[in-house]
Amino acid sequence: MNWPHKDLIAIQNLTADEIGHVLDMASSFKEISKRDIKKVPTLRGKTVVLLFYEPSTRTRLSFEIAAKRLSADTVALSASGSSFSKGETIMDAAYNVMAMAPDCIVIRYPSAGIPAKMAELLSCSVINGGDGFHEHPTQALLDMYSLKEHFGRIEGLTVAIVGDIMHSRVARSNVYGLVKMGARVVLVAPKTLLPPGVELWGASVTNELDPVIPEADAVMMLRVQNERLNERFFSGAREYSIFYGLNRKRVEMMKDGAVIMHPGPMNRGVEITHDAADSARSIILDQVENGVAVRMTLLYLSMGGTANVD
Amino acid sequence: MTDIAVSEKELEGILRDLAGRVMEAMESWHDVVFIGIRSGGFLLAGNVVRRIQEKIGKAVPLGALDIALYRDDVHRRPFSLEVRSTDIPFSVNDKKVILVDDVISTGRSVRAAIDHIVDLGRPKRIYLMVLFDRGGRELPIQADFVGKHVDLPDEKVIKLEAGPDNVSIKDVVVSEVKK
Repeated sequence: MNWPHKDLIAIQNLTADEIGHVLDMASSFKEISKRDIKKVPTLRGKTVVLLFYEPSTRTRLSFEIAAKRLSADTVALSASGSSFSKGETIMDAAYNVMAMAPDCIVIRYPSAGIPAKMAELLSCSVINGGDGFHEHPTQALLDMYSLKEHFGRIEGLTVAIVGDIMHSRVARSNVYGLVKMGARVVLVAPKTLLPPGVELWGASVTNELDPVIPEADAVMMLRVQNERLNERFFSGAREYSIFYGLNRKRVEMMKDGAVIMHPGPMNRGVEITHDAADSARSIILDQVENGVAVRMTLLYLSMGGTANVD
Repeated sequence: MTDIAVSEKELEGILRDLAGRVMEAMESWHDVVFIGIRSGGFLLAGNVVRRIQEKIGKAVPLGALDIALYRDDVHRRPFSLEVRSTDIPFSVNDKKVILVDDVISTGRSVRAAIDHIVDLGRPKRIYLMVLFDRGGRELPIQADFVGKHVDLPDEKVIKLEAGPDNVSIKDVVVSEVKK
């Protein structure tokens, strides 16, 4: 099959087959990062622009390293320190960037829908690096890759996603992807942090963490966004941590072979304790490592080769 | 339309001959490694290495090279392209590398393979072994060990097919280029 997408905006736009191909190909790209010379010439002469209108460490670094390992040239711009902060609209900024002929734009933006709009209007590839509360497709793909790498499969796994589901694009992308790939997803959150319509996503929903822990193959903790602490979604970090935090007691309740995941950045002591974050069950740093391989795959598919199935 | 390019008996003769010529050319085996280009070259390399190991009574390292990311036509290929893993479980530094492909024609695959190998280290020397040389070079690259020279029209392709064990060569098939 050919890779039919110019852009990667949302997991919702991908079929289970396409997700499967990305995950299969990512293993080949992962091997490159283990070589002495961690670079292949594949995207030589291509330019990747990273436009980040929200703070990011992991995603931006990961995309930049991924592009460089494929020999693409990268330029990173963040909102502060550029003229975006002078009031230029995002579409004007995009047309101006486009005038400099990039081959791919990776965009992170605080409101949903901007990457899709850019993909529609620009001729280059657009990859969504996270838009508002909508989607963060590359994070979900690297999470699925990490699960597949660890368990050898995704189908039939039970994945608990715990925390601020309402404001989490990571949760949305993961639910869409994991459900497509045949996993059972359980969302765990206080009622105040569940968005309306969540029951239509294909996951089961509960407000209680303890009964879910022993049946999950993977427990994915979401970051409590500090800025939400003052918005009265729950009464405080301490209470949140008691009801929804992953601590040593809960880690001990997990079943044999089950793993702990977190998309980062972690708030140690709020949604996850040191015991849990640093336990042998944690594959949090594998997620980061796999992020580079998955993003190399996506850059390659968007700008160059195509996935092939005989 | 497909037909068999060489008989089983002829193929066995060619493989034995290739193994024999490599054994003649190598003075010692401590620094010799085989690297096959996926997938036909790796299949061929496995078969030649097996015959050499039977004769010399020691293991000869064998690795697989995927050249998809080194091709010069990544952005031009009209058909799909698969990326598989390079799997070379040894260092190529200061080794005599015998690079193996099933067929050589333009030489572009070999160019990509050499670029890939030098990214992995600095071999002492790279030899090239192919089962079939069908001519049509577009780059100044020649093989050191050739199984058979064949003269085929451009629209035909030759492909090695693995047996059910994925190790032996079942058939050498000639077919029309996929349009």
